[in-house]
Amino acid sequence: MQQTKGHALEIRLCAYIDGELGEAEKTELEALLARDEDAKALFEKLKAGSAFGNTAFEDFLHDPVPLALVRQIKQGSGINPKAERVTIAAANVSRVRVWPRMMAASVALVLLGGTAGYIVGTTTGLGEPTKLASARNWLDDIADYHRIYSRQKERLVEVPASEAPKIETWLASSVGVPFTIPNLTGKGLNFEGARLLVASGRPVAQLIYRNADGDVFAICFLKDSDSPQSDRFSESIRDDLGMVSWQRGGASFVVVGPSANPGLHDLAEAVSTTI
Amino acid sequence: MRPAAETKDFRRDLVSLLPKLRRFAMTLTRNAHDADDLVQEACERAITRSHLWNGEGRLESWIYAMTRNLWVDEIRKRKVRTGSGTVDVSDQDELSIEASAEKAVYANQLQKMILSMPEGLASTFLLVNVEGHSYRETADILGIPIGTVMSRLSTARLRLAAMISENTERRA
Repeated sequence: MQQTKGHALEIRLCAYIDGELGEAEKTELEALLARDEDAKALFEKLKAGSAFGNTAFEDFLHDPVPLALVRQIKQGSGINPKAERVTIAAANVSRVRVWPRMMAASVALVLLGGTAGYIVGTTTGLGEPTKLASARNWLDDIADYHRIYSRQKERLVEVPASEAPKIETWLASSVGVPFTIPNLTGKGLNFEGARLLVASGRPVAQLIYRNADGDVFAICFLKDSDSPQSDRFSESIRDDLGMVSWQRGGASFVVVGPSANPGLHDLAEAVSTTI
Repeated sequence: MRPAAETKDFRRDLVSLLPKLRRFAMTLTRNAHDADDLVQEACERAITRSHLWNGEGRLESWIYAMTRNLWVDEIRKRKVRTGSGTVDVSDQDELSIEASAEKAVYANQLQKMILSMPEGLASTFLLVNVEGHSYRETADILGIPIGTVMSRLSTARLRLAAMISENTERRA
């Protein structure tokens, strides 16, 4: 406990707010606050500052941490975080001579365009559109969805956890994958509810969980008989999100959560045995 | 030597602390680039010295103190490099690092306002008000007397209260 007698009133009130005072001083300040309007106004101002600061500092936790640093700590040395840094700060502009590259790129484009035109002109059937747009996969869509939905604190889910039996029927029939909602309370996660998403043009079920810190985790899955079936877990980090995916029984699954969370892989293993 | 499982657990704990450690580093450096360098250095040091961590108390307190010491060393080096002499930074009330808006882009206006406070205020407020460290723990982490913790806290709260109206005006 601190002795604050003789200090400025704002310092004493702060110690009162922070529970750092002994009983005698606490009682003295409570009596002062009850009778002195100026002291009360100062007290309210200090409390307002505290609340405002708390909100502002909460925002910092949503910033992406350097991903290579996460990997370096998890796996040991061999990765230079400075070379792979991901931050919200403005990226340094590298000083490279741009115009020779632009010139080379222009020449390459002319040659490529001519070749493509020749091929198109001599081919009767055009390639399937899906093959041309293969750069993104369903996990990219899931990562985008997660970034948006996880910030919707008030409208996190489409159907709440209280309707769990309906969720199982609804999503199993919509997605075509039978499942059971995993109970992850042992992992510190509470089931919040579910959404139906679309990724790579296919319906995806999303089960949403939240931990005590308010971090949002999701299990997403879709029917996918095209991918090679393998129980092997594949881990990837996309900016601030970590993703652990696997395939089983004609379906693809992924667990999504904050990349700084070291337990994602264990979580995915638990989900794969219970879902 | 520490058993492999224990080392793995330490690394896991360290990874889960990263967002909070980065936030603490931001209050010291007040720009993301320096904060990331500082976090990296602190983590490397924590791993090499993990055998010294006795598992008592809060791991973040141990790492925060290490981070703060590294930053004080860095400031000292910078002052020498820029010809300002070997000033004992720990004796200064405020570290003389520029926090200009042009130097970094922050996630949002609130963060920018927080980081525009003199360095000592933001880190003290964070440790006590946001993370619930006691005055004693905060004084130990920051290497300052408890009296300084108390005066910084009240100044920080009053400045933050003043920012509420500034923030409202900007948004209007």
